[in-house]
Amino acid sequence: MASSDLMVGLEIGTSKICVVVGEGRPDGTIKILGVGQAPSRGVRKGEIVDFETAMKCVHEAVVDAETKSDVMIRSVYVAISGSHIQSFNNRGAVTLPEDRDEIDEQDIEDVKINAREVSIPAQNAFLHSIIQHYHVDGQDGVLNPVGMLAEKLEADFHIIHGVRTRIQNTIRCVKELPLEVEDVVFSALASAQVVLTPNQKGLGALVIDIGGGTTDYILYVDGAVKQSGCLGVGGDHITNDISMGLRIPMTRAEKLKIDEGSAVLGNCLPGETVQLRDDSGFAGKEIERETLNTIINLRLRETFELLKKKLEEEPFINYVGEGIFITGGCSHLKGIAHLAEEVFELPARVAHAQTMSGLTSAFENPQFSAAIGLIKYAQAVQTDRPRPRRFGRIFGKLFNGMRLS
Amino acid sequence: MIQLSRNYTLPEREDEIIPIRVIGVGGAGANALDRMVLDGLDKADLVVANTDVQSLASSVAAAKVQLGRTVTRGLGTGGDPELGYDAANESADEIRQALADARLIFICAGLGGGTGSGAAPVIAELARESGALVISFATMPFGFEGKRRMAQANEALVRLQESSSAVICFDNDKMGDIVAPKAGIHQAFAAADVTVSQSVRSIVNLIQRPGLIRIGFDDLLSALRSPNARCLFGFGESDSDNRAYDALTQALKNPLMDRGRLLADAANVLVQVAGGPGMTLSEVESLMQELNRHVGDETQILFGTAVDGRMGNRMAVTLISSLAADGAVVERPVFTAPAAAPKPTYIPPVEPKAVPPAPVPAVSLDEDIGEMMFTPEPPAQPERPLKTIEAKMSAPEPELEIAEPEEFEPEFVEPSPAPVLQAAPPPALIEPEPEQPRVILPAKKKALPAVVEAKPAVEKIVQAKQEVLQFESVTRGRFEKSEPTIVEGQDLDVPTFLRKNVRVK
Repeated sequence: MASSDLMVGLEIGTSKICVVVGEGRPDGTIKILGVGQAPSRGVRKGEIVDFETAMKCVHEAVVDAETKSDVMIRSVYVAISGSHIQSFNNRGAVTLPEDRDEIDEQDIEDVKINAREVSIPAQNAFLHSIIQHYHVDGQDGVLNPVGMLAEKLEADFHIIHGVRTRIQNTIRCVKELPLEVEDVVFSALASAQVVLTPNQKGLGALVIDIGGGTTDYILYVDGAVKQSGCLGVGGDHITNDISMGLRIPMTRAEKLKIDEGSAVLGNCLPGETVQLRDDSGFAGKEIERETLNTIINLRLRETFELLKKKLEEEPFINYVGEGIFITGGCSHLKGIAHLAEEVFELPARVAHAQTMSGLTSAFENPQFSAAIGLIKYAQAVQTDRPRPRRFGRIFGKLFNGMRLS
Repeated sequence: MIQLSRNYTLPEREDEIIPIRVIGVGGAGANALDRMVLDGLDKADLVVANTDVQSLASSVAAAKVQLGRTVTRGLGTGGDPELGYDAANESADEIRQALADARLIFICAGLGGGTGSGAAPVIAELARESGALVISFATMPFGFEGKRRMAQANEALVRLQESSSAVICFDNDKMGDIVAPKAGIHQAFAAADVTVSQSVRSIVNLIQRPGLIRIGFDDLLSALRSPNARCLFGFGESDSDNRAYDALTQALKNPLMDRGRLLADAANVLVQVAGGPGMTLSEVESLMQELNRHVGDETQILFGTAVDGRMGNRMAVTLISSLAADGAVVERPVFTAPAAAPKPTYIPPVEPKAVPPAPVPAVSLDEDIGEMMFTPEPPAQPERPLKTIEAKMSAPEPELEIAEPEEFEPEFVEPSPAPVLQAAPPPALIEPEPEQPRVILPAKKKALPAVVEAKPAVEKIVQAKQEVLQFESVTRGRFEKSEPTIVEGQDLDVPTFLRKNVRVK
């Protein structure tokens, strides 16, 4: 087994921690070798609030993944979420020196650095600078300018940043296990890697990853990331609402949400009730189905409306051709796609990771989109990174191999 | 390549130095002024005007005017624009004296507080009466200073726009863009001062500096012509190898420029390129070419260039423009619109007064002055309908007012009722409005009802807040101890059905 292509994605979610072990094939596909998961504690809204507990949970999940995939995990790609994550679009520009008019790799790096020369809040750190398009001497929409002749190279970047210490907390939590952190990736970006096909990215699509504590979104138009962000509201909030509205414990509320809840109204008979059974099976409280659904509907509708408002600050949402892809644990909720269609007035569907092989049950579950996406992201980065220098690539492989096996 | 050298420069004509006065109003204005002194501004006289004696004493400006000797008794205004207004009116004579003989007056003020918001519009008014071109530099408060302050600032801004020939408005929030993220907070606060200082200095230099292609008052005015518009202003200076490009980039980086994107919609752009004797034509050419990419095809470029021995190796670019009130202004007027009602008080004095002093300064540049006096009016035309409506609305309250403001300067009052009464016939719109203008009415007797009226509003806000707080603590459930997720003022951790008041069960 070519251990060099082993990749591990770790997502520390609010409700569960999952670790996906995958193997990149030479033909570009990915095989899922194993999935480990553990219920998450000490995490609220995608951010670690209890370091020790969270670390134990991560450890559990990693051990679970190691047993299931029969692989020693040394290094991981970590998904980052949390409402502190923000993004914006910015243009960088470089003028080529007078004695040279061919764009080379260095210019691409320079323009990237230039695009980052904007002030983000002092406590923030850059997570990603994703290239959208290059402009060469005013010519728009250039995809790869290396080798082109020009005086001036400009590039539009989508820049994602977040609060440094919070990102570092997540990294530290993993490093103390100890595991190597290869890279941190914004979770919606990771999800989009596997939920969307390149074709869908080109046509324009919105990915909404609703997890336990956060709702992450990323918008692609013309194959480029135009908007992304995170809202600190997720499935936990629905459960909390139910628990408070119906005056039942959180665990019951969670079960009720999963078993009986629906995001759309008007699908039940008037006066239709749900029996709330306790653990021993005794019939307990009766709850009106419509009430339950109203609570869920209000919360989700509000969440979608907030997202829509955020997205409408810029014009890109109008160019979404392919529609909305809802993923993440909360996408299991009945009627969620229907509600999204209603709010956004765009076709919506629940989506999970595509184009994988291996454990089908793993990738067909939208809960794992982000973790599987990390592997896809890792694969893209690893094949991308050392391309120009052949020797570097070989060394890189050797190096990676040593680290991983 | 043509090397421009000292031999080519026109002989400096000293007699053409135009008297320029820079007046800093309030604490922020004084700070900006101090910054200007530190940066070195030798071609203009600086005057600081403040209610706070301590701040006045510590200012380094040569001339000082204490506002409202009796109104504030040497203390600040405590954030009350009314007091600032009264104070400025009380010291009107002193202000007039300080501004006398100037042909170009810059007013620097931080809006949102008491002195800046209250006094700056009055001073602008007085400045304009003196027959000078008045350019106001206003800084808006930081967003975190609260909505109340922002509302005061917006109101003051509208009034300042009424009485100034041009207002260049700096958003403190946007200053963050030019401060390095790791810079200390003092730097962030100083950023506004630095920008204002830089702007004033560059405009002063632009006018005073003998140019190869000279930029005069008229050019400056036509660049700033659109009234109530958003001013675009950029200044960049560089002495690097690629100084033309760097200077322009820096100028476009100015927070008011939005990286040059806004230039595309501007009707006029004034560009002045200044450099030492070593400035080459090709540099200027490449700079202008670069600039042209940011500018629309329809845009008229008012180009000026100057060679100044003192510039040494440096090259400086100044860009001044304004956006028509329709497009980009949406941002500001939307906010100021609700505050628009009170401003009529000032309109009547503006127009009758702007005209009479016009013939007075008949010196060599009187063409310029002529323009300066009258151009602000034609551009006001598109806005007229609005103004007349406002004038109508204001009509009633001068009537109410006439009886009371005895302590007013006679000139200030007399002209205003007359034209207003003529313009006043349709009193249909009177009813809903009269209280609102009262809030900013200068007369002391009015100030009392104003306070009474302002208070309920404050109390309301406070009440609402308390309610929300109570709400939160009771009902956040599981998220009780976590950091709240607040979007648009709503705590999303509180169940939606509670916030929307939907009854469940």
